Amino acid sequence: MSRIKTTVQSLHAWRHPEQIACEVEEELRFHIAKRTIANIESGMTPDQAQLAARQSFGNFHQIKTECCEISRNLPFDPGPLRMGIYIAIAVLAGGTALWAVNIPHHNLSAVLWQLIAIAVLVRAFIAGRRNKVTCQSPKE
Amino acid sequence: MSKSKAGLLQGTLDMLILKALSLGALHGYGIGQRIAQISDDTLKIEEGSLYPGLYRLERRGWIESEWDVSDNNQRAKFYKLTRSGRKQLILEEQNWERLAGATMKALRAS
Repeated sequence: MSRIKTTVQSLHAWRHPEQIACEVEEELRFHIAKRTIANIESGMTPDQAQLAARQSFGNFHQIKTECCEISRNLPFDPGPLRMGIYIAIAVLAGGTALWAVNIPHHNLSAVLWQLIAIAVLVRAFIAGRRNKVTCQSPKE
Repeated sequence: MSKSKAGLLQGTLDMLILKALSLGALHGYGIGQRIAQISDDTLKIEEGSLYPGLYRLERRGWIESEWDVSDNNQRAKFYKLTRSGRKQLILEEQNWERLAGATMKALRAS
């Protein structure tokens, strides 16, 4: 169930990147604000406290960018899904080609559908190979 | 025991976040505080590095988050452990104990 939820969240992050960026920023700023308050309570001046909070936090923009990128990642490898979609389209195109062959005077459209099916199958094959390459461990 | 700050081994941060959240829902800042508290201030995590870790754990479905109001009436994102996160924590603890035991055995070998 949580996998479905995270997939929906990833798709949401793809569709609304600026909203995700704002939320990440708000979250990180909240952290710095809390640290600043803690620093003031431990005896620092407000300026010192804020500076120390920013320093102990690290590179704000780099962390924000990293969090936004992670938000957009799907919780599974999209390679097999992509290949499956291509194969499904190829099967549909092939089926349509078979159907078009049986209609009189539609040989041209049958050929066209056959070509589409072949092209999509080739694309699926390439997607599959690319997926295999991605899964290989890097060379020593 | 020495109070010198210990550096974190790779992969330990995830386990510590899960452990901190096993005690209740918290925002990012609170998680850092809780880790420091339960480790008796020995483990100090780099504050910013906590967040990519949190986002990764959420992607894996081990934690989930929702926006709520914090104790000082500010909007904050709170994280909590999911059921699969709880299972993962048990696995991580078992792995860690095995690894720590083996390392200790190796160090004591004469």
